[in-house]
Amino acid sequence: MSGFWADAWTFVLDNLSGDGGIPELLVDHIRISAFTVVLASSIALPGAMWLGHRGRGLAAAVAVVNIGRAIPSFAIVALALPVTIAIGLGLGFWPTFLALFALALPPIFVNTVTGVSEVDDSLVESARGMGLTESQILRTIELPIAMPVILSGVRLSAVQVVATATLGALVGWGGLGRYVVDGFATQNNPKVFIGGLLVALLAITTEIFFSFLERVLIPKGLRKGKKGEPSHERAEAH
Amino acid sequence: MKLFASLAALALVAVACGGGTETKEDGPTIVVGSFGFGESEIIGEIYRQALEAEGYTVEHNVQIGPREIVKPALESGEIHIVPEYVGSALEVGFGVTPSGDGEASRDQLEELYEPLGVSVFGLAPGEDKNTYIVMKAFADQYDLESISDLAGVGRTIEFGGPPECTERPRCLAGLQGTYGLDLNFTALDAGGPLTMAALTGGEIELGLAFSTFVFNPDVVLLVDDLLLQPDENIVPVVNNVIIDAYGSDIEKILNAVNSKLTTADLAAMNKRFGVDKEDAADIAADWLADNG
Amino acid sequence: MNEGPLVRWDWVWSHLDDIWELTVQHVVLTVIAVSLGLVIAGPLAYYGYRHYAARGPITWVAGVLYTIPSLALFAFLVPFTGLSILTAEIGLVGYTLLILFRNIVAGLDAVPDGVIEAATGMGYTDRRRFWEVELPLAMPVIIAGIRIATVTTVGLVTVTSLISYGGYGKFILQGLNRFFNTQIIIGAVLSVLLATVADVLLIRLERRVTPWAQRRSE
Repeated sequence: MSGFWADAWTFVLDNLSGDGGIPELLVDHIRISAFTVVLASSIALPGAMWLGHRGRGLAAAVAVVNIGRAIPSFAIVALALPVTIAIGLGLGFWPTFLALFALALPPIFVNTVTGVSEVDDSLVESARGMGLTESQILRTIELPIAMPVILSGVRLSAVQVVATATLGALVGWGGLGRYVVDGFATQNNPKVFIGGLLVALLAITTEIFFSFLERVLIPKGLRKGKKGEPSHERAEAH
Repeated sequence: MKLFASLAALALVAVACGGGTETKEDGPTIVVGSFGFGESEIIGEIYRQALEAEGYTVEHNVQIGPREIVKPALESGEIHIVPEYVGSALEVGFGVTPSGDGEASRDQLEELYEPLGVSVFGLAPGEDKNTYIVMKAFADQYDLESISDLAGVGRTIEFGGPPECTERPRCLAGLQGTYGLDLNFTALDAGGPLTMAALTGGEIELGLAFSTFVFNPDVVLLVDDLLLQPDENIVPVVNNVIIDAYGSDIEKILNAVNSKLTTADLAAMNKRFGVDKEDAADIAADWLADNG
Repeated sequence: MNEGPLVRWDWVWSHLDDIWELTVQHVVLTVIAVSLGLVIAGPLAYYGYRHYAARGPITWVAGVLYTIPSLALFAFLVPFTGLSILTAEIGLVGYTLLILFRNIVAGLDAVPDGVIEAATGMGYTDRRRFWEVELPLAMPVIIAGIRIATVTTVGLVTVTSLISYGGYGKFILQGLNRFFNTQIIIGAVLSVLLATVADVLLIRLERRVTPWAQRRSE
């Protein structure tokens, strides 16, 4: 197997720059993931926060995420292609983006609705009693308290997007999945390995980034305790 | 219990009479493997159904992938029969440049496969060559009829093909070397919908397609004037395990159907698969009914 | 290349036997994966439950397996284990391990200390206590984990279509290869249906296995 590791290392060294090199694919991969998560958050958060505040939409939210989780990401990517072609957006970036966007929405939406609605009613009531407007309550009370759950949803979404962006290579896009698909087609195993490894590292980095973000955005008193919560929200990262 | 006894008796008789070759009931299941595109699946189905009609138990591992995956599977015995293309089998499979003549290629292929325990049968008249295609508008704009004419475009051309094209000498390297073209490559698929969509959508200007799989009237197949592509007649390639088990019957059956497969047949069948969305199995059955 | 209705129902009706065959393949691949996942994750989780220090390393290994994109893992294994069910299952089982491990441990952790003490006080041996008290009480969380693992596996099975298996994923891949929307859609819809059915069945199982939890009203 020593030949394999040597080949893998050679592959990395040969691809440290240039067209189709690691930096280019890495940047593309990060770009589409970041773009998707930011856009999905911008769209999902306001509506979800308001729904959570009103105490509506919980059942629908749970139903949506259950179905969303059940649709294989491979299917979503495959389905996005005829859609983008039919509307003239072609292949490559757009079907990949469309599929990733569809994948990113449910965790953000559900976690936000659930998190905001679970804020203690008595807190909300007393705030109302003190004369705060509905949107003030949402912003200054519910949002900070729900932040851990909301961020958990965005984090799930981000890791899922990073991992699934690999499939974009199947519809003519680039990103790190290019190494996996091209490597498989030419039976170049070191290439497949490096592709997979880079995505895995990127996903781990994303997790770490969000840990850091949580530390910054969540006041100390609200952070989760040591005994981790069971995995009801764990990402389906593929 | 009675059934078991009679089967056992039958087996004993078979072994006693049959000598070395096994009966179709207790021999290994034959596995046909096809490449990752429709035409290969159809031919694979033809082989499978032809053998089944003679009483063999056959499975078809459909659209496995490119030769880089299929060839090792054939040699290891994971699959037993592959409908190969004689020129590419030599070039891509063994890194040997084919002379261009189908029969010569076939003989060379047979020689190279012998130590690997694989036999090569007879050529079909039909072939399917890698072809380079452009949109009609592009061809009109630059007055293109042959691949050499592409040099007249005078700039980098956007080219799309299967991911393995970068490694294949007659693909990207051939266009750049033999034809001296300046190309920017995008990995898509093997002459499939991704390539077609990219071409019609303008994302690529030059695409790789299979000569028998182009149905769009707005697409122009460029003439291979420098004969970059060798003869690509269909030829069954078979792992000897099956021949040892069942004898020369296999060769007879496969050659019988293969020798009737023409290029026109391939194009017609591909159209039914790609445009009419019919099943490879049905298309193969119809062809066998007409040509059996 | 895509004229006509979105879904050609005539095609669906004429391919019911294919649908059945793929259903069987999909179910078999999923059941094997989750079962093997439990067989491996179960003892590991018990060990992690008892020895807190072991949790970190086990979670880390399972986590790394989980983060590798499925396509890459399958593609990587093919030269070693061929286009076989072994390749598919190595990948599929690997992905269930993290979910199952974490949930089994969390479920056991969540059993109230008071209950454990009471059981010990009543004379239960460690072994009896585990099988008759701790495990049953941990069931809801464990089954939640099995549900997630199952739904995830149903989705991942479709990716094995690229290494010649796939269950319903075969429809998705073939549809993608020749621009046949009906096939892609049917493949996707069937996967969702199968995952939903599995989920519902597992919820039923949970109710059977934890009858005391049903008496409490939510």
